[in-house]
Amino acid sequence: MAMATSTFSPPASQLALRRQPGAAGRYHLLSFPRLRAGLRLARAAAGEAPVEAVEAPSKQVVEQPLSSPAASNGTAVKAKEPEPAPLPRFRDSRWVNGTWDLKQFQKGGAVDWDAVIDAEARRRKWLEDCPEATSPDEAVVFDTSIIPWWAWMKRFHLPEAEKLNGRAAMIGFFMAYFVDSLTGVGLVDQMGNFFCKTLLFVAVAGVLLVRKNEDIETVKKLIDETTFYDKQWQATWQDESPPESKK
Amino acid sequence: MTSLSSSAAAARATFMPSSCRSRPAGGGRMARLVTRAAASSPKLPSGRRLRVAVVGGGPAGGAAAEALAKGGVETVLIERKLDNCKPCGGAIPLCMVSEFDLPLDLIDRKVRKMKMISPSNVAVDIGGTLAPHEYIGMVRREVLDAYLRSRAEGAGAQVVNGLFLRYEAPKEPNGSYVVHYNHYDSSSGKAGGEKRTFEVDAIVGADGANSRVAKDMGAGDYEYAIAFQERVKIPDDKMKYYEERAEMYVGDDVSPDFYGWVFPKCDHVAVGTGTVTHKPDIKKFQAATRLRAKDRIEGGKIIRVEAHPIPEHPRPKRVAGRVTLVGDAAGYVTKCSGEGIYFAAKSGLMCAEAIVAGSANGTRMVEESDLRKYLAEFDRLYWPTYKVLDVLQKVFYRSNAAREAFVEMCADDYVQKMTFDSYLYKRVVPGNPLDDIKLAVNTIGSLVRATALRREMEKVTL
Repeated sequence: MAMATSTFSPPASQLALRRQPGAAGRYHLLSFPRLRAGLRLARAAAGEAPVEAVEAPSKQVVEQPLSSPAASNGTAVKAKEPEPAPLPRFRDSRWVNGTWDLKQFQKGGAVDWDAVIDAEARRRKWLEDCPEATSPDEAVVFDTSIIPWWAWMKRFHLPEAEKLNGRAAMIGFFMAYFVDSLTGVGLVDQMGNFFCKTLLFVAVAGVLLVRKNEDIETVKKLIDETTFYDKQWQATWQDESPPESKK
Repeated sequence: MTSLSSSAAAARATFMPSSCRSRPAGGGRMARLVTRAAASSPKLPSGRRLRVAVVGGGPAGGAAAEALAKGGVETVLIERKLDNCKPCGGAIPLCMVSEFDLPLDLIDRKVRKMKMISPSNVAVDIGGTLAPHEYIGMVRREVLDAYLRSRAEGAGAQVVNGLFLRYEAPKEPNGSYVVHYNHYDSSSGKAGGEKRTFEVDAIVGADGANSRVAKDMGAGDYEYAIAFQERVKIPDDKMKYYEERAEMYVGDDVSPDFYGWVFPKCDHVAVGTGTVTHKPDIKKFQAATRLRAKDRIEGGKIIRVEAHPIPEHPRPKRVAGRVTLVGDAAGYVTKCSGEGIYFAAKSGLMCAEAIVAGSANGTRMVEESDLRKYLAEFDRLYWPTYKVLDVLQKVFYRSNAAREAFVEMCADDYVQKMTFDSYLYKRVVPGNPLDDIKLAVNTIGSLVRATALRREMEKVTL
């Protein structure tokens, strides 16, 4: 419900600025159809806060192909305009004075934190695709910490909690069996042993940190990264003791 | 000769590289090393003084030359362009003003407020925790460099306008280095300058990121960032906003691994950005920076465009024989903030002090081990600062999500206090442990929230 059926898309020319930042952060170069008028209608139909484009609509209307909103996702990307129009600023009726007006997110008497999270995600996505000039009068002061911890937990951790607990239980059971069969130490005695407790800690941390196969590579790279800078600084001391060849 | 080799061996044996960082009782050991080598290196023939060439007349070169001259060493400072306007952010910490006795009229502006702006334009003001006497000084490099050089000259150094070409290593162990340079002299009428040489006992390479001294000594390469900056003259009413304020923009649009900035200078602002990994796109990043600051620099005229490399880490080799590197030539620029002026000047000063001590005020020959003492001391003093900034860069400049968390963290008073303390005084002071734990928890919380939002963002477009 909160997710946009079709999103407002910034001009395709802005996307040329995007680049792959590094190990983390996968960014997709998506091609956006430029159907502002069509999307505005779809928006209103979906009952969401309408987004207004600030720039002269006449220029856009001339260029828009007259396709229906439903077909918006499939239509071809429009060629670049000869001269870039002023970019549309982010507008949302619930975004007031540089922060989200929580009173507008009420659902059944309490604040609908899921909707706040969705709105903020949309806003950040918008600004990432279409960076805006900052202005001192409309300073953005929204801080994500106003959203309570349990809202984050409920939304992001709980869906995965079942999977992670299942993994932990399976690992725990088989490791307990394995250690018992090797050493004869039963489960209760294992819990009292320091080494076993350390293994338990490692297992829990592993289940939490390594969720996909790619995470193992990420962890290995991180370990390399933490010591790389140190090595660069110590390089000059390597050639003090001859004849060690170190770059 | 045997006394020389035994002293060198003794110095090498007692000095261990790893101890420069983990120092249980290291202080006393360092003090002992300083005097021993000086006493046993050979006295210079016929009572002449030690001669040192300082190549490059920036903050590193100027500070080194002044300290050398004051210490009784015969110093020659070679600078290729005496009125050079080095492209630079121009920010100096408070400790530099006090440590180097800089007159306050060198400082064009005192920045007391900084605005950090996240990719989604969340703006956080930092500087509220600064005491009234604390500030970040903005200087013009041409003014600062000229001042330090004039002080060096006043202390007895000879300032030569010339371009360093190369040097020749000595043929015997205690021989001299021969420095080849192009001498520029407006009075002689020669356009390109005349080739000259002179002999010195040691060379201090302070010639910046593209150091020729480093190339000659085989110091190795480093990764570097390109910093690109436009100086923009903006209308007076807009300039008022930047009276005491500097801005820092983070985001993938502005730089994938650095930040964009608007720094106030004497009567204009410097708008710039930098990158290590995507150098060909620097103009796009600059356009994005200008876009983000658009309303505030509207109507401004670009009066100068400049760019310069900034080293990312020290060169693999910082000393070879009696030649050593200081400043940008050595690669002493911090990560995360890209600060280099203070470390350049301080390393020049420390190198000079090590040479003066190792040569017993210019009366004895110096050794590579004396120069290594400067390296050890510099590494020991500033390694924590460099490492902390490296960790910050790795954690918070990874992605837009991390940058959002970064800006969110900056809103915290404790973070601001710690940041400014470590920047202004170059001390990594561990604060109250309870506050540190709270800070760690908040940091992790911010990062987790930003990453969660990031995952939501990826779902939004499709």
